Amino acid sequence: MKVKVVKKVLDANDRIAEENRKLFDQHKIFVINLMSSPGAGKTSLVEQTIKAIKNKYKIAVIEGDIQDTYDADRIAKLKIPVVQINTGGACHIDGNMIREALPSFDLNKIDLLIVENVGNLVCPAEFKIGENIKVMLLSTPEGADKPAKYPLMFQESAALLINKMDLISYIDFDLKKARRDSLSLNKKLKIFEVSCKTAEGLEAWIAWLTQRIDEFKKK
Amino acid sequence: MHELYLAESIINIISNYAEHNGFKKVNIVFLSCGRLSCIESKTLQFAFDVQAKGTAAEGAVLEFQILPAMIHCFSCEKDLEVEIHTGVCPSCGGHEVVLTAGTEELKILELDVD
Repeated sequence: MKVKVVKKVLDANDRIAEENRKLFDQHKIFVINLMSSPGAGKTSLVEQTIKAIKNKYKIAVIEGDIQDTYDADRIAKLKIPVVQINTGGACHIDGNMIREALPSFDLNKIDLLIVENVGNLVCPAEFKIGENIKVMLLSTPEGADKPAKYPLMFQESAALLINKMDLISYIDFDLKKARRDSLSLNKKLKIFEVSCKTAEGLEAWIAWLTQRIDEFKKK
Repeated sequence: MHELYLAESIINIISNYAEHNGFKKVNIVFLSCGRLSCIESKTLQFAFDVQAKGTAAEGAVLEFQILPAMIHCFSCEKDLEVEIHTGVCPSCGGHEVVLTAGTEELKILELDVD
Protein backbone atom coordinates (compact mmCIF):
# COMPACT_ATOMS: atom_id res chain seq x y z
CA MET A 1 0.00 0.00 0.00
CA LYS A 2 1.19 3.52 -0.83
CA VAL A 3 0.71 6.48 1.50
CA LYS A 4 1.11 9.98 0.00
CA VAL A 5 3.07 12.33 2.25
CA VAL A 6 4.70 15.24 0.34
CA LYS A 7 6.21 17.00 3.30
CA LYS A 8 9.47 18.81 3.88
CA VAL A 9 11.60 16.75 6.20
CA LEU A 10 12.45 19.90 8.15
CA ASP A 11 8.82 20.99 8.39
CA ALA A 12 8.79 20.73 12.20
CA ASN A 13 11.83 23.00 12.45
CA ASP A 14 10.34 25.51 10.00
CA ARG A 15 7.27 25.85 12.20
CA ILE A 16 9.31 26.52 15.33
CA ALA A 17 11.36 29.09 13.39
CA GLU A 18 8.12 30.86 12.38
CA GLU A 19 7.04 31.01 16.02
CA ASN A 20 10.43 32.49 16.95
CA ARG A 21 9.99 35.02 14.16
CA LYS A 22 6.60 36.12 15.50
CA LEU A 23 8.11 36.65 18.92
CA PHE A 24 10.99 38.68 17.44
CA ASP A 25 8.51 40.79 15.45
CA GLN A 26 6.47 41.54 18.56
CA HIS A 27 9.60 42.85 20.25
CA LYS A 28 11.03 44.50 17.11
CA ILE A 29 14.20 42.43 17.27
CA PHE A 30 16.33 42.20 14.14
CA VAL A 31 18.00 38.78 14.01
CA ILE A 32 21.15 37.81 12.14
CA ASN A 33 22.05 34.17 11.57
CA LEU A 34 25.84 34.31 11.13
CA MET A 35 27.46 31.34 9.44
CA SER A 36 30.86 30.22 8.13
CA SER A 37 33.46 27.47 8.35
CA PRO A 38 35.28 27.10 11.67
CA GLY A 39 37.96 29.76 12.03
CA ALA A 40 36.71 32.13 9.33
CA GLY A 41 36.34 34.95 11.86
CA LYS A 42 32.72 34.93 13.03
CA THR A 43 33.47 35.87 16.62
CA SER A 44 35.87 38.60 15.49
CA LEU A 45 33.16 40.02 13.24
CA VAL A 46 30.67 39.93 16.11
CA GLU A 47 33.17 41.79 18.32
CA GLN A 48 33.86 44.43 15.66
CA THR A 49 30.17 44.88 14.92
CA ILE A 50 29.33 45.28 18.60
CA LYS A 51 32.07 47.88 19.06
CA ALA A 52 30.83 49.85 16.05
CA ILE A 53 27.11 50.01 16.89
CA LYS A 54 26.62 49.27 20.56
CA ASN A 55 25.84 52.91 21.28
CA LYS A 56 23.10 52.90 18.70
CA TYR A 57 21.39 49.56 19.37
CA LYS A 58 20.85 47.24 22.30
CA ILE A 59 22.61 44.07 21.21
CA ALA A 60 22.45 40.48 22.42
CA VAL A 61 24.36 37.46 21.18
CA ILE A 62 23.76 33.71 21.06
CA GLU A 63 26.92 31.69 20.59
CA GLY A 64 26.59 28.21 19.14
CA ASP A 65 29.41 25.75 19.58
CA ILE A 66 29.64 22.02 19.93
CA GLN A 67 31.22 22.53 23.34
CA ASP A 68 33.09 25.10 25.47
CA THR A 69 32.25 28.75 26.29
CA TYR A 70 35.34 30.36 24.80
CA ASP A 71 33.40 32.53 22.31
CA ALA A 72 30.74 33.57 24.83
CA ASP A 73 33.48 34.67 27.23
CA ARG A 74 34.94 36.92 24.52
CA ILE A 75 31.55 38.58 23.94
CA ALA A 76 30.76 38.91 27.67
CA LYS A 77 33.88 41.09 28.01
CA LEU A 78 32.09 43.68 25.84
CA LYS A 79 29.27 43.87 28.44
CA ILE A 80 26.71 42.41 26.06
CA PRO A 81 24.10 39.82 27.14
CA VAL A 82 25.25 36.51 25.73
CA VAL A 83 24.01 32.93 25.92
CA GLN A 84 26.15 30.00 24.89
CA ILE A 85 24.35 27.09 23.25
CA ASN A 86 26.41 23.92 23.35
CA THR A 87 24.93 21.75 20.66
CA GLY A 88 26.65 18.70 22.10
CA GLY A 89 27.71 17.27 18.78
CA ALA A 90 25.04 18.72 16.51
CA CYS A 91 26.55 20.49 13.52
CA HIS A 92 24.13 23.44 13.46
CA ILE A 93 21.73 25.51 15.54
CA ASP A 94 18.05 24.76 14.96
CA GLY A 95 14.85 26.64 15.76
CA ASN A 96 14.23 24.79 18.98
CA MET A 97 17.67 25.58 20.43
CA ILE A 98 16.95 29.29 19.88
CA ARG A 99 13.49 28.98 21.43
CA GLU A 100 15.02 27.40 24.53
CA ALA A 101 17.71 30.09 24.79
CA LEU A 102 15.32 33.05 24.61
CA PRO A 103 14.05 32.99 28.22
CA SER A 104 17.61 33.93 29.27
CA PHE A 105 17.14 37.38 27.68
CA ASP A 106 14.92 40.36 28.39
CA LEU A 107 13.44 40.64 24.90
CA ASN A 108 12.20 44.16 25.59
CA LYS A 109 15.80 45.29 25.83
CA ILE A 110 17.10 43.96 22.51
CA ASP A 111 17.19 45.68 19.10
CA LEU A 112 19.64 43.32 17.46
CA LEU A 113 20.22 39.63 18.16
CA ILE A 114 23.27 38.08 16.55
CA VAL A 115 23.26 34.29 16.44
CA GLU A 116 26.73 32.93 15.77
CA ASN A 117 26.08 29.51 14.32
CA VAL A 118 28.30 26.43 14.65
CA GLY A 119 31.31 26.62 12.31
CA ASN A 120 30.19 24.57 9.32
CA LEU A 121 29.66 25.47 5.67
CA VAL A 122 26.88 22.97 5.00
CA CYS A 123 24.27 22.27 7.65
CA PRO A 124 23.49 25.65 9.27
CA ALA A 125 22.11 26.96 5.97
CA GLU A 126 19.33 24.36 6.05
CA PHE A 127 17.91 25.11 9.45
CA LYS A 128 15.82 28.25 9.83
CA ILE A 129 15.90 29.80 13.29
CA GLY A 130 13.55 32.78 12.79
CA GLU A 131 16.21 35.15 11.49
CA ASN A 132 15.70 38.28 9.36
CA ILE A 133 18.85 37.64 7.39
CA LYS A 134 21.56 35.05 7.00
CA VAL A 135 25.05 36.49 6.78
CA MET A 136 28.12 34.45 5.93
CA LEU A 137 31.86 34.81 6.09
CA LEU A 138 34.41 33.29 3.77
CA SER A 139 38.03 33.80 4.78
CA THR A 140 40.70 34.08 2.12
CA PRO A 141 42.81 31.09 3.36
CA GLU A 142 39.83 28.78 2.77
CA GLY A 143 40.13 29.24 -0.99
CA ALA A 144 37.94 30.65 -3.72
CA ASP A 145 36.43 27.29 -4.66
CA LYS A 146 34.01 27.30 -1.73
CA PRO A 147 30.97 28.87 -3.45
CA ALA A 148 31.04 26.15 -6.11
CA LYS A 149 31.51 23.38 -3.55
CA TYR A 150 29.01 24.56 -0.95
CA PRO A 151 26.33 26.39 -2.94
CA LEU A 152 23.45 26.38 -0.47
CA MET A 153 24.86 28.80 2.10
CA PHE A 154 25.82 31.29 -0.61
CA GLN A 155 22.32 31.02 -2.05
CA GLU A 156 20.62 31.58 1.28
CA SER A 157 22.72 34.50 2.52
CA ALA A 158 21.87 38.18 2.14
CA ALA A 159 25.48 39.25 2.68
CA LEU A 160 28.90 37.66 2.25
CA LEU A 161 31.92 39.07 4.02
CA ILE A 162 35.20 37.98 2.48
CA ASN A 163 37.39 38.13 5.57
CA LYS A 164 41.15 38.12 6.19
CA MET A 165 41.78 40.41 3.22
CA ASP A 166 44.95 41.46 5.08
CA LEU A 167 46.42 38.03 4.20
CA ILE A 168 45.66 38.15 0.51
CA SER A 169 49.19 39.03 -0.62
CA TYR A 170 50.54 35.89 1.13
CA ILE A 171 48.16 33.31 -0.27
CA ASP A 172 46.61 32.23 -3.56
CA PHE A 173 43.06 33.46 -3.30
CA ASP A 174 41.27 34.21 -6.56
CA LEU A 175 39.09 37.08 -5.40
CA LYS A 176 37.53 37.56 -8.82
CA LYS A 177 36.48 33.91 -8.97
CA ALA A 178 35.07 33.97 -5.43
CA ARG A 179 32.98 37.03 -6.24
CA ARG A 180 31.85 35.71 -9.62
CA ASP A 181 30.91 32.23 -8.37
CA SER A 182 29.08 33.65 -5.36
CA LEU A 183 27.03 35.99 -7.52
CA SER A 184 26.24 33.19 -9.96
CA LEU A 185 24.54 31.43 -7.05
CA ASN A 186 22.83 34.52 -5.70
CA LYS A 187 22.55 37.66 -7.79
CA LYS A 188 21.29 39.68 -4.81
CA LEU A 189 24.21 38.75 -2.55
CA LYS A 190 25.89 41.83 -1.07
CA ILE A 191 29.65 41.25 -0.90
CA PHE A 192 32.05 43.05 1.45
CA GLU A 193 35.83 42.66 1.46
CA VAL A 194 37.01 43.06 5.03
CA SER A 195 39.61 42.31 7.63
CA CYS A 196 38.13 41.80 11.07
CA LYS A 197 41.65 42.06 12.44
CA THR A 198 42.57 45.48 11.03
CA ALA A 199 38.91 46.62 10.72
CA GLU A 200 39.57 47.51 7.09
CA GLY A 201 36.43 47.51 4.94
CA LEU A 202 34.07 47.15 7.87
CA GLU A 203 32.50 50.63 7.49
CA ALA A 204 30.58 49.49 4.40
CA TRP A 205 29.27 46.41 6.24
CA ILE A 206 28.23 48.49 9.25
CA ALA A 207 26.48 51.06 7.03
CA TRP A 208 24.60 48.32 5.18
CA LEU A 209 23.62 46.52 8.37
CA THR A 210 22.51 49.72 10.09
CA GLN A 211 20.29 50.53 7.14
CA ARG A 212 18.69 47.06 7.26
CA ILE A 213 18.02 47.33 10.99
CA ASP A 214 16.55 50.84 10.70
CA GLU A 215 14.27 49.79 7.83
CA PHE A 216 13.02 46.86 9.92
CA LYS A 217 12.44 49.07 12.97
CA LYS A 218 10.37 51.55 10.93
CA LYS A 219 7.94 48.86 9.72
CA MET B 1 26.48 15.29 9.96
CA HIS B 2 23.05 16.84 9.37
CA GLU B 3 21.96 13.41 8.15
CA LEU B 4 21.46 12.37 11.80
CA TYR B 5 18.94 15.14 12.36
CA LEU B 6 17.28 14.62 8.98
CA ALA B 7 16.91 10.87 9.70
CA GLU B 8 15.34 11.65 13.06
CA SER B 9 12.87 14.04 11.39
CA ILE B 10 11.95 11.43 8.77
CA ILE B 11 11.32 8.84 11.49
CA ASN B 12 9.17 11.30 13.47
CA ILE B 13 7.06 12.05 10.39
CA ILE B 14 6.68 8.32 9.64
CA SER B 15 5.69 7.60 13.24
CA ASN B 16 2.93 10.25 13.04
CA TYR B 17 1.63 8.79 9.79
CA ALA B 18 1.79 5.24 11.20
CA GLU B 19 -0.36 6.34 14.11
CA HIS B 20 -2.96 8.06 11.91
CA ASN B 21 -3.02 5.58 9.03
CA GLY B 22 -2.65 2.43 11.13
CA PHE B 23 0.22 0.77 9.28
CA LYS B 24 2.82 -1.25 11.16
CA LYS B 25 5.70 -1.50 8.72
CA VAL B 26 7.30 0.73 6.11
CA ASN B 27 9.06 -0.94 3.19
CA ILE B 28 10.21 2.07 1.18
CA VAL B 29 10.43 5.79 1.91
CA PHE B 30 10.37 7.82 -1.31
CA LEU B 31 12.33 11.04 -0.95
CA SER B 32 13.37 13.87 -3.21
CA CYS B 33 16.14 16.46 -3.02
CA GLY B 34 18.27 18.58 -5.32
CA ARG B 35 21.56 17.24 -6.64
CA LEU B 36 23.45 20.03 -4.88
CA SER B 37 21.58 19.87 -1.57
CA CYS B 38 24.60 18.30 0.20
CA ILE B 39 22.73 15.19 1.31
CA GLU B 40 24.70 11.95 1.32
CA SER B 41 22.22 9.18 0.61
CA LYS B 42 24.35 6.40 2.13
CA THR B 43 25.02 8.42 5.29
CA LEU B 44 21.34 9.23 5.60
CA GLN B 45 20.37 5.56 5.21
CA PHE B 46 22.90 4.60 7.89
CA ALA B 47 21.67 7.29 10.30
CA PHE B 48 18.10 6.22 9.53
CA ASP B 49 18.79 2.50 10.20
CA VAL B 50 20.41 3.25 13.55
CA GLN B 51 17.58 5.46 14.78
CA ALA B 52 14.64 3.57 13.28
CA LYS B 53 15.11 0.48 15.47
CA GLY B 54 11.90 -0.32 17.35
CA THR B 55 9.76 2.09 15.29
CA ALA B 56 7.41 1.52 12.32
CA ALA B 57 10.26 2.76 10.14
CA GLU B 58 12.64 -0.05 11.10
CA GLY B 59 14.08 -1.83 8.07
CA ALA B 60 12.73 0.65 5.52
CA VAL B 61 14.79 1.48 2.45
CA LEU B 62 15.24 5.12 1.47
CA GLU B 63 14.76 5.73 -2.22
CA PHE B 64 15.93 9.06 -3.60
CA GLN B 65 14.63 11.01 -6.53
CA ILE B 66 17.51 13.37 -7.27
CA LEU B 67 16.32 16.61 -8.88
CA PRO B 68 18.68 17.95 -11.56
CA ALA B 69 20.95 20.94 -11.08
CA MET B 70 20.28 23.52 -13.80
CA ILE B 71 22.06 26.67 -14.86
CA HIS B 72 20.99 29.51 -17.08
CA CYS B 73 23.70 31.15 -19.16
CA PHE B 74 23.20 34.80 -20.07
CA SER B 75 25.92 34.68 -22.71
CA CYS B 76 24.44 31.91 -24.89
CA GLU B 77 20.94 32.08 -23.35
CA LYS B 78 20.83 28.30 -22.77
CA ASP B 79 19.37 26.37 -19.85
CA LEU B 80 21.58 23.38 -19.16
CA GLU B 81 21.77 20.54 -16.68
CA VAL B 82 25.08 20.30 -14.77
CA GLU B 83 26.58 17.68 -12.46
CA ILE B 84 28.37 20.27 -10.36
CA HIS B 85 28.09 24.02 -10.36
CA THR B 86 31.37 25.63 -11.35
CA GLY B 87 30.12 29.08 -12.29
CA VAL B 88 31.12 28.41 -15.92
CA CYS B 89 28.74 27.61 -18.75
CA PRO B 90 29.54 24.07 -20.06
CA SER B 91 28.32 25.11 -23.51
CA CYS B 92 30.04 28.42 -24.27
CA GLY B 93 32.48 28.77 -21.36
CA GLY B 94 30.87 32.06 -20.33
CA HIS B 95 30.86 33.24 -16.72
CA GLU B 96 27.48 34.95 -16.80
CA VAL B 97 25.60 32.00 -15.33
CA VAL B 98 23.10 31.50 -12.54
CA LEU B 99 22.13 28.31 -10.80
CA THR B 100 18.38 27.95 -11.31
CA ALA B 101 17.72 24.54 -9.71
CA GLY B 102 19.49 21.86 -7.71
CA THR B 103 19.46 22.89 -4.07
CA GLU B 104 15.86 21.81 -3.34
CA GLU B 105 15.54 20.65 0.24
CA LEU B 106 14.78 17.09 1.30
CA LYS B 107 11.12 16.08 1.05
CA ILE B 108 9.22 12.88 1.81
CA LEU B 109 7.01 12.11 -1.17
CA GLU B 110 5.41 8.78 -0.39
CA LEU B 111 5.64 5.68 1.79
CA ASP B 112 5.27 2.08 0.70
CA VAL B 113 3.73 0.35 3.74
CA ASP B 114 2.18 -2.89 4.95
